[in-house]
Amino acid sequence: MKVLIRRGFNALDSLFSKAFTPAWNPMYQLGAMSFFYFWIVAATGVYLFIFFETSISGAHASMEYISVEQWYLAGIMRSFHRYASAAMGICVTLHLLREYARDRYSGVRWFSWVSGIPLLWLLFASAIGGYWLVWDVQAQYIAITTAQWFDWLPIMVDPMASNFLNEATLSDRFFSLLVFLHIGIPLSLLLGMFIHIKRISGARTNPAKGLAAGTLLAMLAVSLWQPALSQAPANLDVAVTEIGLDWIFLNPYPLISSWGPGQTWALLVGLSCFLTILPWLPSRREQQTPVAVVDPENCNGCGWCLADCPYEAVTMKEHDYKKGHQQSVVDPNLCISCGICAGACPSSSPFRHVDELTTGISIPGFHIKELLSLTENKLSELGTDEPRIMVYGCDHGSVVDSMASNSVASISMPCTALVPPAFIDYVLRKELAEGVMISGCCEGDCHYRLGNEWMDQRFSKERMPILRTRVPRDKVRIRWLGEQGTKQLGLEVKEFQAHLLENVQADVQLDLVKIAEASNG
Amino acid sequence: MDKAVHYLAQALMYALFFVPLVYISHLPTHHHMDDDVAVLKVAIRHPGKIIGECTSVIAGEGHGMRPAAMQRVTEICPRERSPLQLELIIDGETLYHATIPATGLHSDGISSMYQQFTVPTGPHHLQLRMNDDVAVDGYTWQLDQDIELQPAQVMVANFKEGFRLQ
Repeated sequence: MKVLIRRGFNALDSLFSKAFTPAWNPMYQLGAMSFFYFWIVAATGVYLFIFFETSISGAHASMEYISVEQWYLAGIMRSFHRYASAAMGICVTLHLLREYARDRYSGVRWFSWVSGIPLLWLLFASAIGGYWLVWDVQAQYIAITTAQWFDWLPIMVDPMASNFLNEATLSDRFFSLLVFLHIGIPLSLLLGMFIHIKRISGARTNPAKGLAAGTLLAMLAVSLWQPALSQAPANLDVAVTEIGLDWIFLNPYPLISSWGPGQTWALLVGLSCFLTILPWLPSRREQQTPVAVVDPENCNGCGWCLADCPYEAVTMKEHDYKKGHQQSVVDPNLCISCGICAGACPSSSPFRHVDELTTGISIPGFHIKELLSLTENKLSELGTDEPRIMVYGCDHGSVVDSMASNSVASISMPCTALVPPAFIDYVLRKELAEGVMISGCCEGDCHYRLGNEWMDQRFSKERMPILRTRVPRDKVRIRWLGEQGTKQLGLEVKEFQAHLLENVQADVQLDLVKIAEASNG
Repeated sequence: MDKAVHYLAQALMYALFFVPLVYISHLPTHHHMDDDVAVLKVAIRHPGKIIGECTSVIAGEGHGMRPAAMQRVTEICPRERSPLQLELIIDGETLYHATIPATGLHSDGISSMYQQFTVPTGPHHLQLRMNDDVAVDGYTWQLDQDIELQPAQVMVANFKEGFRLQ
């Protein structure tokens, strides 16, 4: 099932990237979009509260005023409030499915995964509370059904459903409690959202500006086209027979009616428990490799690994024996073994005059000296009939192993940002290959969050360690195409080879001309 | 891709996202109950009678009380209340029969229950019976009444010094 979901997301990713470009692709920022929708709901909620009357008799009438008499502002706000919460529900669901399908929920990531489960309950409770406040027939239905659902629990002394017997027994007091809950639960949700991203450095909580602007425009269009309206006012003296239902947030309600409260509790609590223990269940996913190791002898305390670690696993402390210096420290509970830190380390340079290449920080099993010898060995086996290409790929992006040929060498690693820019310089300067191709996850969707972003910045000299100016840029290509772009990457490698061949032929032509000129002269 | 085509494609994607979202936020309608039935809600909140009688405190029998308390208390009364025996019969068919225990750690609180039933519309004979005293055999409270239920009508049966229909 996971593979099927992943394929589905791969297809969606490609589709959205074509329309939005990878930088604006909403599929790569579902968490940020959820935050964005939350803020829309919060801001519009504050405005709506000004006009909302917190009483049984006044609630529906005040909502009618909002939607009918002040349709041009409060009415639009109400539609934004409703549709943004629904969109948040969908984004959160997609976010959960996506992280599951891409195996981003176990190991160090367990904290974000597990802390996200109560957020689902809080999100649903916030939305249901909102529908309740409108006090129309849908609210009547969910009020009575919710009460019966909770009454099943042995914790209720007085049945909650007794509050909704008929119009005569209805009290404003219970309604005031609901208003309080509709403010309190979303605030708890917000707190939970911040806890959810606590262990992630530089968590993306704002979507791309263009995407945000487009979303607001789309919501405005939708609000004018189909404004959110109330249904008929609630009347507890008349039973609800047929109602319009929000199937995004109120989907458990028909289940409560048909299955009964006990089975619905069992399903929802069981599902939540299953999701909570999912990170520790045996699966066929790859086991996490050992965490990064610091070599104090080669760590100069520059802090580049600290700046690049996507999970705040690196901190600095006073150097073990060099006075006045600092050295990196890795928290094994936070390290995800991506190797981005090794790629950031200035000591990871194959140009260093040392007997054996060492570095300040590295991943056991994928040490920088092993990467170097692997690179040299693979490239030494290539023929020289065609331009030689070194392809570095990541285990979660385009599958590069299949591209190896007589003229193409490929190495796959946890994250391509593990490759220090000095390696590319080294390969080209030592003429081990005519070109270097860097590939990995889709742009904006790095398995380790920031790998391709850091790599881009290192190449464009915005981030240390930089790819030196002397490296001819036409001999280096970066393509973030992801797993679904494997075929495309294969074609681009061939095209790259053809381009390099043209350059070589042009160079040879130039050399011949120079020789001819020299001999004539 | 041309910029205009890009924006057009984005508009299409926004539409593909929001149109179904708007649709499922209120449609399709949910059929909760048939039109030809009514709802009968039975909600009882009533304390059962105390089980047992008060006994006089006789000098020398401390009943585990401190001496100071013994000087003030002349009799000891039990706290436990009778559970309610409740029965609902419509047209001779028993729809509900249950024992509702008193709440509280010492079963000294009120007994409360809520149940709702869907009943076909039309005329019915309703019988509600309750026993709130274990010392009494049979029922201590009864209601026998003919009712006429309208489609989607909500009828409430509760208890306040006797059964009431609303």
